[in-house]
Amino acid sequence: MSNLLYLSILAPWVLAALLMALPKSLPERLFKILGLIGFGIPAILGAIIFCEYARANTGSFLFLSEIDTGLSTYGISLKLGVNGISAPLVLLAGIVGIAAGITAVTSVAERMRTYLVLLLVMQGGLMGIFVTYDIFYIYFFHEIALIPAFIMIAIWGGPNKRPAAMEMTIYLTLGAMLSLVGLVGIYASSGVGSFDLISLSNYLSENSIQSAMQESLFGLLMFGLGILVSLFPFHSWAPRGYSAAPTSVSMLHAGVLKKFGLYALIQVGLPLLGEGSFAWSTALMWLALGNIIIIGLVTMAQKHLKDMISYGSVMHMGYAFLGIASLNAIGVSGAVFLMVAHGLSIALLFNLSVLIQNRTRTFYMDEMGGLGKDAPILAGFLIAAMMASVGLPGFANFWGEFTIFLGLWEVSPLVLALALLGIIISAIYGLRAVKAIAFGDRTEAYDKIKDEFPVKDINWVERSPGILLLLALLILGLMPRMAGDGINLAVTQHILAGEAYEQIEASLTAQPADILLQDTTQTTETHEH
Amino acid sequence: MVADYQIVLLLVLPLISAALITFFFRKLHKIAVGISVFSSMACAAIAFIAITTWNVEPVHREITWLTFGSLNITLGYYLNSTSAVLLFVVTFVGFLIHLFAVEYSEHDESRARFFGALSLFMFSMTGIVLSSNLIMMFFFWELVGFCSYMLIGHYQFKDSAGKAANKAFIVNRIGDFGFLIGIIWCWWQYGTVDLVALEAQADTLVTGIGLLLFCGVLGKSAQMPLHVWLPDAMEGPTPVSALIHAATMVAAGVFLMCRVFFIFSVEALDIIAWVGAITAIFAGISAITQNDIKKILAYSTLSQLGYMVAAFAIGTIAAHGDTNYGVGAALFHLTTHAFFKALLFLGAGSIIHATHHEQNIFKMGGLAARMPITFVTFSIGYLALTGFPLLSGFWSKESILAVAQEENAAIFYILLIGAGVTAFYMTRLWIKVFLGTPKTDYVAEAKETSWVMTLPLIILSVFALLAGYQFIYPAGLVPALHGSIPHPEGAMKMWLPIISIAVAVVGYILAALLYRANAEKDFLEDKLPAVFKFINARLWFDEIYAFYVNRIQQPIANAISLIDLAVIGGLGMRGSAGGVGLLGLIVRMLTTGSVHHYVYWFAVGLILCGAVVFGFAK
Repeated sequence: MSNLLYLSILAPWVLAALLMALPKSLPERLFKILGLIGFGIPAILGAIIFCEYARANTGSFLFLSEIDTGLSTYGISLKLGVNGISAPLVLLAGIVGIAAGITAVTSVAERMRTYLVLLLVMQGGLMGIFVTYDIFYIYFFHEIALIPAFIMIAIWGGPNKRPAAMEMTIYLTLGAMLSLVGLVGIYASSGVGSFDLISLSNYLSENSIQSAMQESLFGLLMFGLGILVSLFPFHSWAPRGYSAAPTSVSMLHAGVLKKFGLYALIQVGLPLLGEGSFAWSTALMWLALGNIIIIGLVTMAQKHLKDMISYGSVMHMGYAFLGIASLNAIGVSGAVFLMVAHGLSIALLFNLSVLIQNRTRTFYMDEMGGLGKDAPILAGFLIAAMMASVGLPGFANFWGEFTIFLGLWEVSPLVLALALLGIIISAIYGLRAVKAIAFGDRTEAYDKIKDEFPVKDINWVERSPGILLLLALLILGLMPRMAGDGINLAVTQHILAGEAYEQIEASLTAQPADILLQDTTQTTETHEH
Repeated sequence: MVADYQIVLLLVLPLISAALITFFFRKLHKIAVGISVFSSMACAAIAFIAITTWNVEPVHREITWLTFGSLNITLGYYLNSTSAVLLFVVTFVGFLIHLFAVEYSEHDESRARFFGALSLFMFSMTGIVLSSNLIMMFFFWELVGFCSYMLIGHYQFKDSAGKAANKAFIVNRIGDFGFLIGIIWCWWQYGTVDLVALEAQADTLVTGIGLLLFCGVLGKSAQMPLHVWLPDAMEGPTPVSALIHAATMVAAGVFLMCRVFFIFSVEALDIIAWVGAITAIFAGISAITQNDIKKILAYSTLSQLGYMVAAFAIGTIAAHGDTNYGVGAALFHLTTHAFFKALLFLGAGSIIHATHHEQNIFKMGGLAARMPITFVTFSIGYLALTGFPLLSGFWSKESILAVAQEENAAIFYILLIGAGVTAFYMTRLWIKVFLGTPKTDYVAEAKETSWVMTLPLIILSVFALLAGYQFIYPAGLVPALHGSIPHPEGAMKMWLPIISIAVAVVGYILAALLYRANAEKDFLEDKLPAVFKFINARLWFDEIYAFYVNRIQQPIANAISLIDLAVIGGLGMRGSAGGVGLLGLIVRMLTTGSVHHYVYWFAVGLILCGAVVFGFAK
């Protein structure tokens, strides 16, 4: 099994190298086929790894192996393995990867070969993030995936690509730097001399880091990783970056790469910095509410389809943060589940947005209308994708959101009620978009376009990313245990297993929820003053 | 015995039908129709066999669906007398409406999509009925909402249909906001959301939980103030109005309450009773000034749902021992209403189909002679709805009035007057549609529709006639309906039906005097325009909501969006055109390509954030 983990990182890189080595004069078709192979292999491997892991019925790290990369004096080596949290994310990275790959080869990007090379490099990095348990390498693979994204936005992006790429670079590099300081801080203050998660958590469960240090380190991680996941108010890079980025980059970044921040916060921050997480959970909760309510309202005001989808994705990150901030097994597991579900649904929405734009020749929704008549299948996909993202039961997103809400009650019913406003807000902007695009009569603008460029429904190649993503959303939505059992075991046995969490659990069950409500509101007030 | 496979089939058949149609038969309309009608027929048969062979003992089975921490969500079914009643109604009425829809949709370009959505609806509705716990019920609750959304918006090219579909979904989401909090609170309060376990454990009642669960009912059963979506939902095809927006889905709210009746405190029930009573009278009065035949029936549905909600609440407060009069009376009226209101809607559909989509009753007239079967069956529905003696609606309305009369005088009088109002607006409709002379050529040329459409009408009219009597139901349903009247048989207060009949008769006569079959204008509009205007404003609910959405919510969203762009996003980051401001300058410095600037920038940021973080933590 552990060979498969290596292979899932290497396969896209090997094909990227091959593409670069081949002479330019070869037909573009060949590049595309090789590119698809490069995305197909990790997708299949991701599915195999996920299924094999699910069969083991555990939450701990499995399929372990280690390669010395010459940094072992610093306690760094490439250690591969997946646990209950990373296994579904490996699956996510694989599926979104192949979907983005298909989107890329069907796009009209110039210099297709270079484009595919960069995208394959990114894909290898994405797989790497989730198949290693060495913190240094998790971070390393993240950077490897991030750099091609910047380049691709700057070269192949849409309008405003330069400032967007620059803003994204500044924000994300800053976020990455902050979190790197936090991660190195854990390494330094633990004193165990190793970056690997298993040794760190084993060691720290006996000798935990000093409380004040934990608080500082968790703060660094929370803000650093928060910037990477567009935590309010550090979100403004995301809508601009995604709107400007080529679609397959948006799919990979919003769908998979962005999950790195949440992933590291759950996989590293929570188990190693238990006390730190308590110190920050209230602040995190209120910032996350900013994502849901403020960005939710901003999403309602968008007229540009890609802007709307991007803001919507920023909004949904608020739920994931809330799940983490609830610091109980239900909420944290829900956050992991939502990460997977959201990754699939946001990739699908970005994919559909460009298919729609190909037909309407615009991203502005008030110039669309009546697409359901000309492209009923595309409209059907759009409705399904939008329903998935607003959390309709049957799609995976529902379980993520629902369990996060349920976990929140324990912390504060008030925060739960505020967060739940999001289900109304997202229904409003989601359905409005569907109506503007698919329902009603054709607008004049669209009628003109239609005369000029005949509109056809999507063909099988265009459909295939949508089918893959929807299928995954439906399977996880109807059979949530496939991913849920592993997540639950990992969260209950490893992530929230520390002493700090046991104490808080005991104190929570002793208090009725309504007293807690007052407590949290008071503490937040003092935080704000 | 009810076998597991029967229950599984009831859920899986319509789901398979929906999936087959969606994935393979979108363009093969006839096959799609065949699959969908067959699955609904098979479900009706299986449900009938299951219920008749059932030994009336509750059946409860479940498997684990998802486990997170201490939360264990199960997938299962819980068949008791309450759910058996709904199962019977949903599968039976559902099948008849599928049959009716075959011809109704014959000119529809998206016929396959229509039947696919109907099948998905049957799956979801059966799911609500059989759910063994609240989370599972919520799962299907949202799915019926989605089907309702798809079917209201079925005529995609109509702008109004799209708007109505969105309105229905969003208003229901507002109700679900409360419903979801209620479910979550319930789980933390009692440690379970399983219906059987809840009944055993819910000894200390929490008013808040009851009221929050009732929020779901406000949305789905369209009670005030969330009633606004249902009249608009008439944009959907008429069979959909009959199935979803009259007989089954809108009754899901009432069903939910009956399913968890033990969780409501008396304080909660008091509020619920008043919401129901006010909806009943308000919607009845609103129906008086409507001209669209479907909208009149929609307001009538709102009003009757109000009766069920009020009956449930009053009767549950008065529950003695094992007999819950509220559940009995509400379910009884739900059942008879499903038959006669589905009949009325299908009758309206038959008329609309025969008159080339004429829905304005003032343009109809003289249809009694032209469409005799529709006329007779519609008249039976009309009499049943208005509580004509010995018809089904009479018995169920009597049981509601009897409960109200014993327990709450004020609500009793409201509901009594409501019965008169019902007779009034339905007589107006009946006169304008069937009597007099046709007002348009299409109406004059109208012919009776074929047997596929009239057969369901005839079968439903038999039930509208006889559904007040127990012999017509399988034995398994009787226990749920039995406790509908809070006194033993034989001790019935004879004066009560006499009064209610008298009130209805006043309604009949008044309407007959005021509305002449051939008058071109509405009597009220003509003679009492102020009264007409007031009633027609329907307390300005739609206007107030529209004002909020367009003048408050959207401007706030736009303003926040601007602030987000200008302030949080950093001034001028967006581009060269408006590129001023501090960050813009820095960006330009950075884009000069000097590596030093990057380094400084990161260092400054790092120090700043570090300072914030370390300072904040201490």
